[in-house]
Parts: sequence; structure tokens; C-alpha cells
Amino acid sequence: MWNYILRRTLYNIPVFLAIIFLVMVALRVTDPVSAHLGKNATEEQIRLKTEAMGLDQPFIVQYAVFLRDLALFWKPVPDEEVSSVAQSGESPAIKVEPSPWKRKVTRSWDQDLPVGKMIFDAVPPSIAVMGPTLVITAAIAIVVGLVSAFNRGRTADKILMFLAVIGMSISVLVYIILGQYFGAYLPKQRYSAWPFEVAVDASAAGGRWFFFAPANWVAYCMLPVIINVIVALGYDTRFYRAVMVEETRKDYIRTARAKGASTARVMFVHMLKNAMIPIITRIMISLPFVVTGSILIEVYFNIPGMGRTLINAINAKDFPVIQTFTALFAALFIASNILTDVLYALADPRVRLS
Amino acid sequence: MRALSAFRTLSAATAGLVLLCVPAAAGTAALEAASADTKVLQLPIRTDGPKSLDPVKGSTTYDNMACAQFYETLLVNKYSNPMEIEPLLLAEMPTSTDGGLTWHFRLKEGVRFHDDPCFPGGKGRVVTPEDVFYSLKRLADDKYELENWWLLKDTIKGFDEYKEVQNAAPSFDYDAPVEGFRKINDLEFEIVLKQPVYRFLYILSMFQTSIVPREAVERYGDDFGFKPVGTGPFILDSWVPKQSLTAKKNPNYHAVMYPDRGEWSSEDRRNRLHRAAGQRVPFVDRIEFTMFPEDQPMWLQFSLGQLGYTQVPEDYFLEAFDKASLELKEDYLRRGIRAHSDMLLDFIFRGFNMEDELLGGYTEEKKALRQAIALAIDLEEINQTFYNGRTIVYDGPIPPGLRGYPENGRSDAAYRGPNIALAKQKLAAAGYPDGKGLPPIRFYTSQSTINVEMAEMVKRQLAQINVQFEPIFTDFSTLIESINKKKAPMFGFAWASDYPDGENNLALFYGPNESPGSNHFNYKRAEFDALYEKILTMPPSEERDAIYAQMRDMVLEDVPFVGSQARQRFYVINPWLLNCKPTERYYAWFKFLDVDNSKR
Repeated sequence: MWNYILRRTLYNIPVFLAIIFLVMVALRVTDPVSAHLGKNATEEQIRLKTEAMGLDQPFIVQYAVFLRDLALFWKPVPDEEVSSVAQSGESPAIKVEPSPWKRKVTRSWDQDLPVGKMIFDAVPPSIAVMGPTLVITAAIAIVVGLVSAFNRGRTADKILMFLAVIGMSISVLVYIILGQYFGAYLPKQRYSAWPFEVAVDASAAGGRWFFFAPANWVAYCMLPVIINVIVALGYDTRFYRAVMVEETRKDYIRTARAKGASTARVMFVHMLKNAMIPIITRIMISLPFVVTGSILIEVYFNIPGMGRTLINAINAKDFPVIQTFTALFAALFIASNILTDVLYALADPRVRLS
Repeated sequence: MRALSAFRTLSAATAGLVLLCVPAAAGTAALEAASADTKVLQLPIRTDGPKSLDPVKGSTTYDNMACAQFYETLLVNKYSNPMEIEPLLLAEMPTSTDGGLTWHFRLKEGVRFHDDPCFPGGKGRVVTPEDVFYSLKRLADDKYELENWWLLKDTIKGFDEYKEVQNAAPSFDYDAPVEGFRKINDLEFEIVLKQPVYRFLYILSMFQTSIVPREAVERYGDDFGFKPVGTGPFILDSWVPKQSLTAKKNPNYHAVMYPDRGEWSSEDRRNRLHRAAGQRVPFVDRIEFTMFPEDQPMWLQFSLGQLGYTQVPEDYFLEAFDKASLELKEDYLRRGIRAHSDMLLDFIFRGFNMEDELLGGYTEEKKALRQAIALAIDLEEINQTFYNGRTIVYDGPIPPGLRGYPENGRSDAAYRGPNIALAKQKLAAAGYPDGKGLPPIRFYTSQSTINVEMAEMVKRQLAQINVQFEPIFTDFSTLIESINKKKAPMFGFAWASDYPDGENNLALFYGPNESPGSNHFNYKRAEFDALYEKILTMPPSEERDAIYAQMRDMVLEDVPFVGSQARQRFYVINPWLLNCKPTERYYAWFKFLDVDNSKR
């Protein structure tokens, strides 16, 4: 298995490098200097900003420097050395331009913060919302899918699928706006002890693990999780129903029933076990989003997570943050793909990793 | 049995949830108990807040809003009348005995920086003239990308030369002298200008010229923008960029008093704004800003009484205000909510690139084409449709409230639409009778729903004179790039005055400021430039007002833009927030706010 993981990882390195390359090329179609300097920049300011952003360097140098910094993100950057000075005789001192290869902390162009710190601070709040969302959605959707598939064509199935389609047809923004209004604002107006807050306020400045305190999680994350689950349920329920319907047609179900297995046993033991491959696929595809967060939810509920960090970076043309985010997402996606294959083998002994 | 089991599971889950909720409620209760003794002020920052807490790197309203709590300037706008300035770190207004060339300053005694480890023993030291010189010199340092160099460029004697020499040197020497900076003693100093530039005093009230201690900048380096050390009324507690900013009261804040009763207008006195007259500020122990990129959560939190005041977002205006009377609705008044409106120093326009082959130029034909376009556009219809009639439509580039603003907003020199008959005549005079032979007008504007809809309206208005209008929607940076590179023949833009003087707006037409500078129109007229150079050195007077009007009408005749509009900002204020008169002219006024916890 370890050989397989190592081999897949090596195969994916070119893919990873290509993703970063393409993203960096795509970003450089627009000019971030104007966006950062605003309306009245002088030529001198434009030159200084371009240099500060490293955009005066050839693209390949920018690419190589970014990869180098990405690879060494774990290693502290040595203290800034005093810039070397060339002086000869009585001629005036000449400023020596710093080398683009000199390693320094990659800072956000928009926030002036180290990008690593921004990402590390943003990951826990996203996990606080998206982790429970993934678990709860998968659990409910699998059960509903099973029930619906088992009652295929009956009223229960029709009602469940009707609700799923309705759920899918409504924009996520509508859920968020209505959820915030009816789930937090209105009850809070009547009952001051209502546990859900409209949005995260300044009290959340208590560090990156703030949302993991139970009381804070209930106040700020539970409503977003409920909304997320409702939004995702429609899609997931229909998917799992389709998977389960496929399974109900198989011979082993008929055999299990003929042997006198109860409905619950057929559903939750035989059928669920055999449907694990598509279930694992679905869950593993969603896994990277646990870390990368949900843009709309985080923006509306003021959750300082990855989704909000990304949308801020995109709006501000903050290339270092967008590039790092993309690299992280690509790495997570590749990792989850490899993990999916490993889980296939664990779930189904017939699958061999080779 | 199964039903019983399910019930037990549900009960356990409910109990768990309740247990989780109890600490939340208890936490709130504890906070409320604490707040009975402590005055905490919660305020919103619309959009995503400041980018840096280093004033030399700041440029946006939000940078200003945050920096003004931690740092202070030599001069500041008056809270009771923000169009005027008064001393803040100075003991008195600066004086000049040679007609504004040399300015004499006396620092207020005993003003100390925040206590911080950058000082010996961690105790903030007294502000000196060296701090003033150091803070201004930072604006000239390439290291800060000259974000705010424009404020002092060509202003102080020897300063431009100092900038050139130091930026070419291996390291920027802050100890090197500047001819125009003269220290007299530990409290007094002089600044000598190249020529008497009247706006200089306004510049000294802008947050970018805030006074910072050298020790802190050198100790914190690139992180100084996250560890502000100034003389301001508040000390940074925490800043989560794009999320929140909290600060506590500076216990060593120098003696600043709430404006006297006599300084307030009768309307302000009716709103009880004078209630704290003569008292020492700040009143609150802690100030907490939350950033809101979306309006709904901000509005709902305000409605729950969790925020002291808020701007009224466009989408919520009719929920709170009566459209016809612009008065607050009854249910808001019943809840004790108060409204306040503030006229912004806006210049919203649709500009022409005067170097464009089709739309630019100064010949009679070229002017006639722009005049025709201006005459066909109905700004009042735009105002009524998109702003609920809440902008002021006016002639010229100088917004309401400033000298040079035409009486009733109208100037005889203006080609204000709609006047379709005259527009058609002008179009014919331009060589395009009935629009024949005129290529489509390419109009660059930023991508947003309101801009798309507004462009549709302008398209319809111009179609009345058979002018084809071709809007091009871009993101904001592409728009800036297109304008800076003189690629946009016509463009939608706006300008907010940096300081309350029409000179700031007239600078937008000064030839040397052409793109990528602030003269996005690339307007160049020798007579205009000569007049601009003249007014720079003139203090407010009737003579200067007459020149402002002459320059305004000169621009109106040449029509480098179609305009103008200025927005009125509406605010709602919760009853527990006292002394609140929001303004966007400056942001050092939060120290005057007070909180009545009994009204929460």
C-alpha cells in the first residue's frame, strides 16, 4: 500500500506543478498594480509597487520563487540582512537591488500579513463549520437515500424526492438570507437568550480555536451548519438514493430477504456495505472543502475562514494568497484522491492497489 | 420499544444541546454584568476594513477610521463643524508672519505616546519636534512605496531634494537634515514651505501625517502596521484583518475636552449633542469594530441593538425612512432610534479623455460634440431612479458645502441636460447632423448591477439624439488601468475630496496631474493651469472664490465631464449611543462617543 501511495504521489507532482503554473499565468492576465495603487498612482509609485510585488521579474523566476517558498514554508526565514552596498573611491554610494532569489516571508499584498499565518488562522474556523456539515449531511442523506430507495415509487419516496428537488432548486443565497433572518434575528428579537447570533462579532478575536469552544460553536457555527446541511441535503439525498436504488436491484438483496433478514438489516448491513464505494467517493470529493470553506456562508456570517480569505484575495488581486490557496486546494484534492483509492481497498477486499 | 428508544436518544440530544447553549447564555449574561461597569462601544465598518494600521501606508476611508483611534495629527477637524480644523497635538493653531511661507508650531505639553515595550521601561515618552519631522520623512521613503508622498510633494523647502538623495542612497537616513524643518526647542518648531501653499494646514490634519515614534517603527519593522503605537485615545487590543478590531482606552491620553455648548448648532443642541460639553474624553473603556462585507448582517445586528450606529444601506433605506419626507419611520422613532444625514464631498461624473481622437480636443467642433452628449443626458432621471432622489445634481467639479460651489448648484456656463433640441444643434455643429457618421461612444465603467442598469438608461437618453452608446464593463482595476493608460474615451468615475477646499477638486484638471495622476481627463489648458498655481498660495477670500468660479466655468464650457452628483449619507443611531454625529470628513471623533448601558 505504501508503495502505491508513494507512486501515486510522484505521478501527481507534475499535475500539481501544472496547476500552479496555469493559475499563475491566468492571474497575470490582469494588472494587480493598478488595483493596489488606486486611481492616482504616479509612474514612480507604479515602478516601486511592481518591484515590491516581484512582478518586474520574468515569469519563470516568479514561478520558481513561489515554488521554492511553498516547499520551504515550514522552515523559518532567516532575518533580513542589511542590503549590501557597493562603494568605490569617492563616487556616491549605489543602491544594490536585492536579489529576487533572496528568501523572505511571503506576505499578502493586500494585508501585509505573512500568507502562511493567514491560511493557518483561516483553516480552523472553516473546519468548525464544514466538518460537522460534511458528517451530518452524509449521515442524514445516506439514511434518507436508503429509506427512499427502499420505498421506491411509494408516497414516502415521492415526498422525499420532491423535497430534495425543491431544496436543490433554491439558491443558496436565499437559504442564507432567510436563515439568518428567521433563524437568528427574529427569535433573538423576542428571546434575548436565543443561542444563535446573527453573525460573528468582534468577540471572535479570541484566536483561531475560538469556534471550537462549545458555547461559541453553538452561537456562531450551528446556524451556518444547519443552513449548509439543508443546502447540501437535496443533492446528496438524490445521489445516495440513485446509488441505493441500483443496489436494491441486485441479487444479494433478494437472497438476504429470502433468508429472512429484517428490513433494517438488509438496508443498514447488506446494502450499505455494498454501496460503500460510491459513498466513499462522494464523501472524499467533499473532503477538501472542509478545509477550504464556504464563501457565501463565511461572508454572510462573518466567519473568518478560508472561503472568506479567498474571496477577499480574489477581490483584492492578492496573488500570493490566491496562489497559496490554490496550491493547498490542489494538494488536498490529490491527497483525497489517493486516500479514496486506499479506502476502496479497505472497504472492498476485491479491490487491489497495484 | 423502538419509539421509546428513539425518544431517549432525542431527549439526550436535546439535553446535550441545552448544555451547550447554557454556557453561551451564561457567557452573554456575564458580559452584560461586566458591561454594567464597563462602557463598551460596538461599531460597524462597512466592507472589509483597514489594510494597514501604519498611517504612512494608509489611503482608504477604513485605514483612516482605524488609524485615527491610535494616532493623532497636529491638526484635526472640529467635531462640531468638520469643515473647520483645530489643534490636536498642538497647543495652538500654527502661525505665520511671512504670508504663509514659514509656519511656527508649538506642541501641546505633556502629550505622551502609548506605553509600549519599544520605549525604555515600557513607558511612553513625550512627543517632540523630532517625531513630527520623522513622521513626515517617512512619507518620502521609497520603502513605503510613496503611497502618500503626493501630500507633501513640492511643498516643503528642501524636502523633494532630501527624498531624491535618500532614496538613491544605500539606506534612508532619517537623521539627515531637511532645509525646511527647523527645531526651536523641545516644544516648538518651524516648517518652511517652497511657496505659501494654503492646503498645507489641511494636509497636517490628514491621518497619513499622523505622528509616530521612531522607536516603534524601528522595533516592529514590517509589523508596525499591526502594532500601532501613537498618542491616540485608544490602544490596540486585537486586530483580525477583514474581521474585527478592538481597542481599549488609553489611560494616559492627554487632556482633550468635549466641544463647548457654544460650538454646537441649534439643531445639534436639540439632539443633545452638547450634553457632555467641557468633559474630558474618551468616555468609553473599550471600542469594538466589526467589519461587514455584506449589509444584511450589519443591519440586523444594528436592529438588535448590538451596534451603536450604522450607515443606512441603499437596500434598507425605505425600510427605515419615508421616501417623500426622508424622515425616520414611526416604529424606528418609537424604539428611540435617531437619524442623521451628512452631505458627502462627492464629485460623481462621467469623464471624457481629452486626448481621445473622437471625444477629446479643444476645437469648437470637438467641444460641441461633448456639449451635445452632456445636454442629452438627464442626471435628474438617474438620481430619481437609482438613488431615490437622494443625490444632489450640480454643475461643476466643486461639491456642495465648499467655496466655488455655484449658487443653487447651477452655473450659466453648464450644458446640463436634458435639452434635446439644443443637443441636436450641437451635434450638427460638431459635424454629425442627426448623429450621422458618429462612431459609437465607448464608455468604460466598473462591473456592477447598478452600473449596468444606469448605462442602459444613458444609452436610451443618448439614443434620442441618435448617438450610439457602447458601455464596456470591467473590474475596477481594469477600469483604472484603462483610464491611467488613456485608453478609455469616456468613463464613469467619482472623486471624494481629500480636504474641504475646492482647490482639491480643481486639481483634477491641472495639466501636470494628467493620467496616471488625478487628472484622468487629461485636461490641459494653460490659462487654467496658471490660475490653479495662483490659488494654491491664496488663503480663503472673495478674490479666491471668484477665481474658483472662473476655473469652474472654464471647465464647464470645455465639458471634460458630464456631471455632477453628490451623495447624502444617512445614518441611524441606537438610543444607547450618546454624543453621536457621524461624519466621513475625518474619523478622530469616536473618542467623543459615550454609551448609556441602562438603555441597552
